[in-house]
Amino acid sequence: MIFDAIINGFFGVMAPLNLILVVVGTTIGMFVGAMPGLSATMAIALLLPLTYPLPTASGLSLLASLYMGAMYGGSIAAILLRTPGTPAAAATVLDGYPMAQKGQAGKALGVSLVSSFIGGVISSVALLTVAPILGQVALKFGPVELFAVAVLGLTIIASLSRGSTILGLLSGAIGVLVAMVGMDNITGTPRFTFGNINLFGGVSFIVALIGIFSVPQAIRLIEKKETERKTVVNSITDRMLPTWAEFRKIYVTIIRSSFIGIFTGIIPGTGGDTACWFGYNEARRFSKDKEQFGSGCPEGVAAAEAANNAVVGGSLIPTISLGIPGSSATAVLMGGLMVHGVMPGPTLMTEYADVTYTLIWAVMLANFAILFVGLLLTRLSIHVTRVKDSIMAPLIIVLCVIGSFSINNNIFDVFIMLVFGLLGYIMDRLSIPPAPLVVGLILGNLLNVSLHQSLLMSHGSWTIFITSPISAALLALALFSILQSTPLFAWVRRSWRRKSS
Amino acid sequence: MMKTIKTTSLAMAAIVALGGFLAGNSLAADYPSKSISVLQGFKPGGGSDALAQLTQPYLEKVIGESFVNQYIPGATGAIAWTQLAKQTKADGYTISITNTPMLMTNYIMNEEIKYDIDELTPIANVVTDPGIVVVSKESPYTTIQEFFEAAKAKPGMLTVGNSGVGGDDFFTTLIVEKATGLKFQMIPFQGDGPSWQAAMGGKIDASFNNLGITFPQIKAGNLRPLVLFAEKRDSNLPDVPTLKELGYDVASGSSRGYSAPKGIPAEARDALINAFRKIAEDPAFAKTAADRALTLDMKYGDEYVAYLQKQEEDFAKIWEEVKSQYQNK
Repeated sequence: MIFDAIINGFFGVMAPLNLILVVVGTTIGMFVGAMPGLSATMAIALLLPLTYPLPTASGLSLLASLYMGAMYGGSIAAILLRTPGTPAAAATVLDGYPMAQKGQAGKALGVSLVSSFIGGVISSVALLTVAPILGQVALKFGPVELFAVAVLGLTIIASLSRGSTILGLLSGAIGVLVAMVGMDNITGTPRFTFGNINLFGGVSFIVALIGIFSVPQAIRLIEKKETERKTVVNSITDRMLPTWAEFRKIYVTIIRSSFIGIFTGIIPGTGGDTACWFGYNEARRFSKDKEQFGSGCPEGVAAAEAANNAVVGGSLIPTISLGIPGSSATAVLMGGLMVHGVMPGPTLMTEYADVTYTLIWAVMLANFAILFVGLLLTRLSIHVTRVKDSIMAPLIIVLCVIGSFSINNNIFDVFIMLVFGLLGYIMDRLSIPPAPLVVGLILGNLLNVSLHQSLLMSHGSWTIFITSPISAALLALALFSILQSTPLFAWVRRSWRRKSS
Repeated sequence: MMKTIKTTSLAMAAIVALGGFLAGNSLAADYPSKSISVLQGFKPGGGSDALAQLTQPYLEKVIGESFVNQYIPGATGAIAWTQLAKQTKADGYTISITNTPMLMTNYIMNEEIKYDIDELTPIANVVTDPGIVVVSKESPYTTIQEFFEAAKAKPGMLTVGNSGVGGDDFFTTLIVEKATGLKFQMIPFQGDGPSWQAAMGGKIDASFNNLGITFPQIKAGNLRPLVLFAEKRDSNLPDVPTLKELGYDVASGSSRGYSAPKGIPAEARDALINAFRKIAEDPAFAKTAADRALTLDMKYGDEYVAYLQKQEEDFAKIWEEVKSQYQNK
């Protein structure tokens, strides 16, 4: 019966209308993803009413492929402008932009495209075949396990602290501290809000992200001397797709990141913005030349981009098998199902199998649409690197202002963005890396809320983190990660090697 | 010559003035003559948006103008509602979706939030999702009596989830605690979803939630409903008792409706109220609502005002009683 449903879904999506909608959705998604401040979640919500007249499966195909497209689109701005188009592309900046500076913008985008494609396909296959089994994983993650995920996530800061560990930790601590602003989710107490209700909901993560990355970049372009400008010309005619030799170097990373992305997607409350860092971190951990990371290493781009596209399929797994949205974008997608008269929940794979499997195939096809539309669109977008710095800098600022306003339709957010822009500039001048701050900001609130919830559940006993097997394993992994970046670990390994030889 | 010009200009001024007067008059009478903005205090795709997607297409048909959603999420709706109460022109062209109890508990619990319901013109309530207690299908508790017995044996030890501090489920739990004399360990989550998911995964003993939200999981057998906080049983769950049947006078839930700023023209208020009355008579509207698991609970004008005032009074009283012990935790 399931097999029939899969076949029917495939023929469902092959209807001309659906194929067109998948391509349209992917294209819109790429555009939305490339614009800082416009997110996939927002675009899905805005397009939702337009899908009312369409058949349910077609409407949802449009929205799901938009989600997939946006995940790749985010990397375009990250690579070309050092401005992540979506929060999920924040880790792509680290190696993507240095590549563009070396004149390899085309190659960086090509690596991103291929990684996004493979990550997306692997996650779609998982969605199509083992969703009901993997969906159960989502239920295993309560506050206790989420706390362990947050702790493990924070250890990434260590590997992002290029140069100085102290400065990296400082940056991470600032991020966690900023995440504490707002009304505490457990006690309802407003913290660091200064009586301003605009701060009750905390500092919007996307707004801070736009400020931290983009404003310093604009200032940097302005500060450059005329003679330094445009010494590097990005060749537009260069080969975008990686060669076979290049691909062989990154494919292990892509596959590893894909699985990381799928699982991060399944866990409710974590999405692409977390997965890209996990993917990046693991790629660096397993890499032979760790020092290359951060200076324009294709592996870094591949790791982040495969992970964030794999999140799409991953987060749809609990959505369709249990009715639990795995990310904020799938939550909106679920609302869309309801508007179309489909009750999101465990009956999706049985009662509404026709709609569900068409949707899954649409996600799969969206990957191919990304590859083809991406090749055309990306080639055009490389022209951005030819724009004069004196034009590009103010343009970036304008995009930042529009982007940060449009998130909540609140002018206050524009000021927040500018404050973070200034902070980012100061940090840039003092060589404090911005990436740990972003990680701290993403995970700070999760850490705070899940810790408090866990201790309420255990009536104050800390042993709850050890008695849950998932939490214990993740915390052990976190401890291992920390030890790995201390001299102790290197010493142990050296003496072990001496003994064996 | 001079005089003629003067007379002419005088006459013209008179005509302009008269025209302006007539136009002004007809503006109010012709309400609405342009699109109406709807402020939403929550993200697109949430419960507020679900209400907007349900009612606005029908309202547009009745009223002949379009509704434009403006999402201003943040501070549990307080940013949008402060804007509605303090900064919006009271001309009937900007209204907002108002959710209870958050509309009132926001300012009851936080002195920094300055608006209150006296600064609004409540138009109509549309849906009320009654409160419900759900447990995992593997839970040892099969009836509400068993659950209450366990709570009595171990005061403050049973863990119950809610959708967040200040939300409807949070206050429902407090009301139930007060009515029954029991004590639970309350765990606030970030929304209804994480709360029932924690119950379904067996992470907590029960979730105080809403019928419309948990119904798909109840239907699939993943969650077991114990008790409903409604006036009477729900036809979808005929076997689930209400707390009233057990002798506790508790009915609670989350309501969503529409309000305008204080002082909008009477014509605009009447036109809007009438529009809601009209769509409520439309069987297609009722069917769409049922399809989306939204329980209609129409209250118009003064009735909605009274409903909000009663709730404000109740919640202020409960919060006054519990706030010292709660905030010390």
